Amino acid sequence: MSNAHSHGDGSEHPAAPMVEEITDFEVLEIAVRELAIEHGLFTADDHRRFTEWAESIGPAAGSRLVAKAWTDPAFKARVLEDAVAACKEIGIDWAEPTGFGTPSDYMNLRVLEDTPTLHHVIVCTLCSCYPRPLLGMSPEWYRTTNYRRRLVRWPRQVLAEFGLILPPEVEVRVEDSNQKCRFMVLPMRPAGTENWTEEQLAEIVTRDCMIGVALPRPGRTADIHPVQKARRPVKRTSHPPETAHERKK
Amino acid sequence: MSARKDVLKQQDIIGSLQPAIHVPQNWNYEVEPDLYKAYMHPPHDVGGQFDVPVRYEEKEEEQWELDTYVTCEVLGWRGLWNSEERRRRADNDLGYTLYLGIPYYGRWILAAARMLVDKGHISLVELIEKIAEVKARHGKK
Repeated sequence: MSNAHSHGDGSEHPAAPMVEEITDFEVLEIAVRELAIEHGLFTADDHRRFTEWAESIGPAAGSRLVAKAWTDPAFKARVLEDAVAACKEIGIDWAEPTGFGTPSDYMNLRVLEDTPTLHHVIVCTLCSCYPRPLLGMSPEWYRTTNYRRRLVRWPRQVLAEFGLILPPEVEVRVEDSNQKCRFMVLPMRPAGTENWTEEQLAEIVTRDCMIGVALPRPGRTADIHPVQKARRPVKRTSHPPETAHERKK
Repeated sequence: MSARKDVLKQQDIIGSLQPAIHVPQNWNYEVEPDLYKAYMHPPHDVGGQFDVPVRYEEKEEEQWELDTYVTCEVLGWRGLWNSEERRRRADNDLGYTLYLGIPYYGRWILAAARMLVDKGHISLVELIEKIAEVKARHGKK
């Protein structure tokens, strides 16, 4: 029992043992980063600034966007018209952190509005394109070949595995993200949330609802999945170490 | 374990990774059009392929994974590569064995190392020496 952990869904599996020795990928990452800094390809400060941005993003921004769209029809219209511009109104600038966005996320977002007869769900079959500035880093399952393989062909089955069973009269539309255009789902506001504040509404708009594998409902404020425990450190202990090259300056 | 045993064990692992071992594939005199098309299909284009239901898991993000993401992005920020190169060529064009066998961010950092060497920003010797130095610094055999 000591080597197992609970998932909250009743299932459990053994926790991965912590690897004592540094892994080959960690070694390679340190080597590439240090060589790049030593050769002046980028600076330790570039790396630190980008890291701070990467640590600041998360799905809470998307939740705020949805909650505001639910309560403000004019804002919703702007979201559907030009999502990147609308993001600025909730404090998300897609040009961060470089001035032209991240090199991987083009400043192009389309928000997909669900209706009583249409449900959207997003995937990236080619890699794992994801609206990072609004939703943070993609969950591990979103990156798996399994999700990418099956969702575009058997969407209802995959959604059912997430616990979302849609009636046949609801059309399911799978949007395949790509490097030039990111997508996010604007789910329908559930019944029983009349007179709720934006803050209350944002709490039930979880990451899974904006991917489209779950529907928001009162009382559902977290996405529960099994968690693969890390085998190597998860927290930063120091920013990129000074290199010999930099110390010379 | 003897050195010879180590070598044989490694050979067994490598042998077991050969693609589609249930289909005779080496020593081909010709390739049928359908098989040619399948060979040419890029490994990362997986949409619509068969797979079995699995339990969809979250994963705690490890520090090296965040560092890898940031390193690759900063290389793009400073103009060393663009998004298409990083994804399609470097991350994805690895062959099935590496593409399916290496962790998500493992592919990213391998891609970055290969790009820096391929473009001549660092030499392979420098990279090998740096890897040895980092291993020694962290007490890795």
